[in-house]
Amino acid sequence: MRRTNVRRSLLAAGVVLIMGLVTACGGSSSSTTATVQISAETAGTLRVLMEGVPDTDIVKALLADFNKDYPNIDVQIEPIAYDQIRDKLVASFQASKPTYDLAIIDNPWVGDFAKAGFLKPLDDLINSTDGYDYNDFSAPLRAIGEVDGSIYGVPFYNYGLGLIYRTDLLQAAGIAEPTTLDELAAAAKKLTTGSRAGIAMQPQRGYKAFEEWGNYLFAAGGSVYGSDGKVNLDTPEAKKALETYIAMYKSSAPKNSLNWAFDEALRAVSSDKAAMMVSYNWMLPTLNKADGPAGALAGKYKLATMPGGKQVLGSWDWAIPANSEVSDAAWAFISWLTSKAGETARVSAGGAPVRTSVLSDPAVSTTGGGADYYATVAKILGNAEPMCQGSNCDEMINAVGTELNSAIAGKKSVAAALKDATTAANKIQSQ
Amino acid sequence: MKGNKSSWGILGKLLISLSFLLVAMPLLWVSIASFKKGTDLNNPTQITFVPTLENWKEVFSSGIFQSAGRSAFVGVVAVSISIVLGSMGAYSISRYKTGKSLTRFGILAAQVLPPAVLVFPFLDLAYRLRLSDTLVAVIAAHLSFVLPVVTWFLIGFFDAAPKEVEEQALVDGLGRFAAFRKVVLPQVAPGVGAAAIFGFVLSWNDLFYALILAPGNAATLPVRIAGFNTFRGVELGAMCAAIIVSVVPVLITSFFIQRRLVRGISGGAVKF
Amino acid sequence: MSFRIRMILPLLATLVAAVGYPLIYSFYLSLTSYKITKRWDVHFVGLNQYKDVLTNSDYWSAMKVTATFVVFGVFLELSLGLAIALALQRQKKFRDFTRSFLLSPMFITPIAVGLMFRFLLNQQLGAIPTILDKLGLSYDFFGSGKALFTMVMIDTWQWTPFMVLLILAGLESLSKQPFEAARVDGANPFYTFKRITLPMLTPILTVAILIRSLDALKVFEYVYATTRGGPGIETQTIQYFTYQTGIQYYRLGNASAMAYLLLILVMFLVIVLFKQIEKARRS
Repeated sequence: MRRTNVRRSLLAAGVVLIMGLVTACGGSSSSTTATVQISAETAGTLRVLMEGVPDTDIVKALLADFNKDYPNIDVQIEPIAYDQIRDKLVASFQASKPTYDLAIIDNPWVGDFAKAGFLKPLDDLINSTDGYDYNDFSAPLRAIGEVDGSIYGVPFYNYGLGLIYRTDLLQAAGIAEPTTLDELAAAAKKLTTGSRAGIAMQPQRGYKAFEEWGNYLFAAGGSVYGSDGKVNLDTPEAKKALETYIAMYKSSAPKNSLNWAFDEALRAVSSDKAAMMVSYNWMLPTLNKADGPAGALAGKYKLATMPGGKQVLGSWDWAIPANSEVSDAAWAFISWLTSKAGETARVSAGGAPVRTSVLSDPAVSTTGGGADYYATVAKILGNAEPMCQGSNCDEMINAVGTELNSAIAGKKSVAAALKDATTAANKIQSQ
Repeated sequence: MKGNKSSWGILGKLLISLSFLLVAMPLLWVSIASFKKGTDLNNPTQITFVPTLENWKEVFSSGIFQSAGRSAFVGVVAVSISIVLGSMGAYSISRYKTGKSLTRFGILAAQVLPPAVLVFPFLDLAYRLRLSDTLVAVIAAHLSFVLPVVTWFLIGFFDAAPKEVEEQALVDGLGRFAAFRKVVLPQVAPGVGAAAIFGFVLSWNDLFYALILAPGNAATLPVRIAGFNTFRGVELGAMCAAIIVSVVPVLITSFFIQRRLVRGISGGAVKF
Repeated sequence: MSFRIRMILPLLATLVAAVGYPLIYSFYLSLTSYKITKRWDVHFVGLNQYKDVLTNSDYWSAMKVTATFVVFGVFLELSLGLAIALALQRQKKFRDFTRSFLLSPMFITPIAVGLMFRFLLNQQLGAIPTILDKLGLSYDFFGSGKALFTMVMIDTWQWTPFMVLLILAGLESLSKQPFEAARVDGANPFYTFKRITLPMLTPILTVAILIRSLDALKVFEYVYATTRGGPGIETQTIQYFTYQTGIQYYRLGNASAMAYLLLILVMFLVIVLFKQIEKARRS
């Protein structure tokens, strides 16, 4: 280990010297090649699990460019369903020979994985990579990857939520973009017709319910954590948010959708069975794509911040497993992809942005999702918060989401559900 | 009375036809769906459409056959070990009353154990022995429920087999083990077959142990199929194709073995 | 060493390794604070985990859900299985084909069955809700108050064939003599069934119920494929709950205590059942 460190620093020094000489001899470095410290000769096979989302396809398409800079690194992406990622990662982290050399981590897992010693701290790598500009990443996203003072993950893509709606339907009904929770409820009700629901909701027990309702909570002016750092959902804002949510579910959501998650909501919205949904901001480019899932409805969707302006944030981070045997190659890939140049390429192809500079880059806004979309995303990232911070997030989110679902199903009163959710969440996070 | 008989007969036929329909309908629907394109899937009852082989291509290239192979491997190994050890042990319990009801009951008790009790120690042990995410761990775990079931069945078969034949063999000078191997085993062969099939099916179907002990590269078929619960809704087509892939061999095999199974089981297994 | 001991030794040794060891180790785990993400920080906590589980209302909820599932499922499977087996026995034509087709569901891996029904009953993609819709009916198969029953239906679809198999085997092994006698005496079908068939089938039925119930207790795949325990915790069976606690929430110590308590309960029930059977047999 020490030997590699020494070697790397020498290499770094060497590269810096040469780069300095090159730039000194005139001719600025081209903006399409990233400045990294890892040798282009670095070799290795990187096996990584990735969810089957648009950003994964974009990364796959960028591999050819990556291999131009690093011809000896073979990146093998294994697409897989969300549910299986965590279990497989945990199994790999504990094996003597890792199955995966590189990992993307969902934000609720970062805390637990870091504390369990499953991930390598990346501070040294980041600091030794020239021109990386770690602080360019949006602040809330950076906070997600930082645990106990060390950086364990760098942002890959964000999945902050927002309100996606059909412009033509809102216009036809004479409704303006909702700016408060009550306006949202009214709009959803007005847009509900016999064959189309006003809003497709995702009240599925556990993660989904909390992920969606969290936005309603923020819209009502509430928050998950109190000023003492403990979870407190037993507040008037939370009560209003849940009551409004339930009212909307009963009056404006599709029939029999109690068990709905992302899948079902997307299908409803893309096949004209629902007019709006609260969903991941990057679903917008996909919905508006000409040959995408929306078919003839492409181009009619718009993204807005949640009424009230604050939304739930989620993100995936790149991380290097502690038992990875090819950390150099892993960092080469991570730093290449998440550098300003790599990010620009990814976002231009439709990926969800994580760097503030890229969001405001005029060149990017003409491709990808359009200037309007990026402006909205910038607003979303500017005021977003993950559902959970700290340890045991998976369990906490699930517990809260289960209580929420019970209330939505009418099995528990709103007050009881919120109280029980608070108690359970605090118990879980204090373990 | 004759009227009674034919009315029961009609009722019986009706019941069978209804059952047939109930069994066939989901399978048929899934088969049809596996040939549908994404947008066509949004119309569940549409029967006329342009078929596509996309889903099948996707499934074939997804490594599902490797997973099936792994499942088969695990099943065969677990069952083989179980038949060998189980038949010997069952013979001892049946003929020599070894341990009397304690062993019989103990064997049953092993079958009763909820997998949840056993899987965590397996998980921890696999980690310590550096066998995480391997088929060895899965086979060991499967033994924990295949071995008792097979043994238990075999005890019943041995109980039912008449003693005279082996006694004759012993009189003729065969050693006890030889008698067991050459005379008794062939007698209970149909029962052994039934027990083997049963044990194999139990192993083939297991998701719980496999999911926890080998979620990654050593994934067996059920784990693989569970993985088709994907993000994009339209993957329904691929999932249907995967389901058919796992069902068709079963249907074919079931046709050949059902007679044997019925005969084998009625040959005396179901006793205490 | 005597012959009989030598014959049984390999079996016992393997069973001890495959079953005994995990059993003991599981007990040990249940006395600790073991967490997958904190392997280095394991300490002995005595019966704390048990206390925690016994006072966990979700645990008792899961027990109730599982018990409901088992009782309804096995009852349905037994009744239907009996009826179908009797009908199959009478059948003269296409015997093999019908039997193998009707028995097939039990050989399909349960997760595939679960996923199949998940989509068959899906509001948007499933054939059945669409058909119901055309008939003007609306039924949320995975809705509150209905999801558990849907699980029972799935279990029935898959495992009634198992009952059919056992009962059919039993029927075919019954000696013909009592039936001949009854026929000669002019008994009607009801009488034959109640007084002859049923009593003779009792051992088989007992075994069938026993095996099926023990199996149903372990239900996991259907929940995993469809509702993940929801709505609320309505379909959270004990096996699913244990999996969730131990694997998803990393709390192996706690999950082991859950499993052990279930084991004790099941063993208690099985012993009671056995005693009853012994008593009945002797009388």
